[in-house]
Amino acid sequence: MGVVMPLNAETAQARTQRVVNEDSTDIALFVRSSQDDMTGWNRQRIVDALLRETFIDRGTAEKISRDIEVTIQAGKVKTITGPLIREMVNAKLLEMGLEEARRMHTRLGVPLYDVDQLLVQHNKENANVPHGPEATNLTLAEGIKKEYALLHVFSPDVADAHLSGDLHLHDLGFIDRPYCSGQSLEYIKKFGLNLPHALSMAKPAKHAEVLLAHMVKFAASLQSHFAGAIGWDAINLFYAPYLEELSDDGVKQLAQMMIYEFSQQAVARGGQAIFSDVNIYWEVPKHFVDVPAIGPGGVYTGKTYGEYEKQAQRFAWALFEVYKEGDAAGRPFFFPKPLVHITEKFFKTDGHMDFLHHICEVASVKGNTYFVFDRGDTAKISECCRLSFKLEASDIEDAKKPWKMRYSALQNVTINLPRLAFKAQGDDTKLFALLTEKIQLAAKAHGQKKKFIERLMSLGKGGPLSLLAMDLDGEPYLKLHRCSYLIGMVGLNELIRVHLGQELHDSDASIKFGLKVIAHMNIVCNKLAESMGMKFVLEQTPAESTSFRFAKLDLAHFNAEAEKVVQGNREKGEVYYSNSTLFNVGATMSPIARVEKEGLFHPLIEAGSITHIWLGEAQPDKEALASFVINVFKYTQNDQIAFSPEFTACLACGKTSRGLSETCPYCESKDVDGITRITGYFTKISSWNKGKLGELHDRYRNIDRFNQ
Amino acid sequence: MTLFTTDDCVLCAQLKKQFDLSAMDVQVEVLGNNDAGALAHLAWHGLVEKARKALPILVLDDSSALHEFGHIESQLLDRAARYGCGVAAKRPGNQAGCESGSCALQ
Repeated sequence: MGVVMPLNAETAQARTQRVVNEDSTDIALFVRSSQDDMTGWNRQRIVDALLRETFIDRGTAEKISRDIEVTIQAGKVKTITGPLIREMVNAKLLEMGLEEARRMHTRLGVPLYDVDQLLVQHNKENANVPHGPEATNLTLAEGIKKEYALLHVFSPDVADAHLSGDLHLHDLGFIDRPYCSGQSLEYIKKFGLNLPHALSMAKPAKHAEVLLAHMVKFAASLQSHFAGAIGWDAINLFYAPYLEELSDDGVKQLAQMMIYEFSQQAVARGGQAIFSDVNIYWEVPKHFVDVPAIGPGGVYTGKTYGEYEKQAQRFAWALFEVYKEGDAAGRPFFFPKPLVHITEKFFKTDGHMDFLHHICEVASVKGNTYFVFDRGDTAKISECCRLSFKLEASDIEDAKKPWKMRYSALQNVTINLPRLAFKAQGDDTKLFALLTEKIQLAAKAHGQKKKFIERLMSLGKGGPLSLLAMDLDGEPYLKLHRCSYLIGMVGLNELIRVHLGQELHDSDASIKFGLKVIAHMNIVCNKLAESMGMKFVLEQTPAESTSFRFAKLDLAHFNAEAEKVVQGNREKGEVYYSNSTLFNVGATMSPIARVEKEGLFHPLIEAGSITHIWLGEAQPDKEALASFVINVFKYTQNDQIAFSPEFTACLACGKTSRGLSETCPYCESKDVDGITRITGYFTKISSWNKGKLGELHDRYRNIDRFNQ
Repeated sequence: MTLFTTDDCVLCAQLKKQFDLSAMDVQVEVLGNNDAGALAHLAWHGLVEKARKALPILVLDDSSALHEFGHIESQLLDRAARYGCGVAAKRPGNQAGCESGSCALQ
């Protein structure tokens, strides 16, 4: 990056010598270059760059370079930098009508003012990133990669659709990474920690603590290669062979180490915390029952995983004991997120009711538990805020060698649904045509990202994605041919409100029309998957910042229509659209009605959905929640639920209290921060963007619902 | 009453031949790659996962659903009788397509 020096700085004057000679080809001007040095003026460099980076002819390039030289001479510029020359050349290209050449020759960077702001102010686009030097590095790099992606990876129509807010290309700042990854601990149990570019190689762990160290380091490495979540399948089961020699206290100690290690990584890394998910089963999933277990040293134990049920249960129980206690100040752990699979077999496994009460108590006290419902023969691995990968026949086959089980989504593209309704003006045909058009554009964006990642992966072990190219089991870690491509949605509720004049919770007709919209998306995805040979699947977009961004853009560009339906507080700028297919967060609905009705959409959204039940300061008893969970499993189609209490953490006395307060109830300090779920994970409210703050204010808390 | 079917479902085809469904006031929803309305209707009844396992599914007027072919056939026979509709002769055992998985929502 070039350095911009102030025109009146003494040091700049001292170090920058500029001698203007009569001969314009020999200006003794030093140019501060992008390579961190000062080179003499040479207009040939402009010609070389134009010929190297664009398709213009040599004559034009020569002419531009001469014109620039004259301008610089005439301007008597005291300090000149590489970026400045590039800006001048780009202006010249535009002046000559060479827009495509200008695009190819453009310079990516960040204005000085923006950097100044970024270094000081907290970037709240992702509440999972703390404020600090490493985080600002991340933000700056993301800014440049985002520009690069929009200019160079995606076609202009896709980039324009993103910029205008028709759709949202997630994680553009991570353009050179896939979206998320779900995997098995068996990979490191079998192969040890043997990562490309590592300074040392570790053999398979012989002790549970070492396995944990390997897991955390591997997760951190993966987080550097994926934009989003890092999920682990059946974690309690795969640890089980390491637990036989441990006492109950030892198992709890291990559970405590795991949770603290993952939850404290945000500070350790400086950037995004490892967005970690652990999938937990009380029973041994059917597809693992007969699988030979790998134990200490990467050696088969001679038993199958079916024989490790009790050990796996001990670990699951201990993990939730730790979650129930919370951290040293009694706050809930933010990561790793525990996802408990509720299956038909769960209810046939001894001790399930005790365990259900245990995890429901945690849900009530701290909110950590996610209840993932795998009905019938469904098996899946869940992660991120709600993403799940359903195991297909080939995956079940992989389960015989669980280290082969790894799943990835390459990208997520979200469609702004309310805007389609603004444009359709009540016309169904137009609405569905516009929706189809946007899904096609999203698919096109996926194809472009796929091509880009394929190019990086083709560089193999010497390339930037060497970790994903490693093939310890004979296949690249990233199985590109099996990746999913996510298509999400924001604001179904507001689409319905514009199109029908009612919100989703207002009538059955609204829900039925909403289902038709999502069914249409599902069908178009299937058709495109067939024609493009890519696995397009719908996901409920977490939309932590997208729901805010879309609302803000629509207020700017479709103000007359948007101001009637945008949620939140417009005066404060705390505006948002309802996430994905969720109903209005403020609608007064019983929790079971919300779970049931929102759940009608879930089977159409194959890559994952969730219903949130906001508890506020309520703390229902574990029996009531357990009964609720059982009913949800038996009588609804809902994919996943989570109960979200709220807390106030006092930064003065260090105590944690229930509910959101402006002062600490213990010491009356105003130096407090709120904690609750933002979209699919717990965070401090001070790190939330404005849209989510608006939503928090509107949320309907089920204060007394579970005691009725 | 609604019968959820697909175009390439052997059992669905058998029912369509056997009964004059429109005369019996049975709505037929053909699930496939072109009808979002049918899929949405299926989702409204909470039957998407069931349909991914097997079709046909008959939803009765009280919103309960029948999944067993024998039960569906029996229900339709009753309805045909009540509506005074004729029933075509049933072709003997023709479920090979279902074993191949075609009698389900893909």
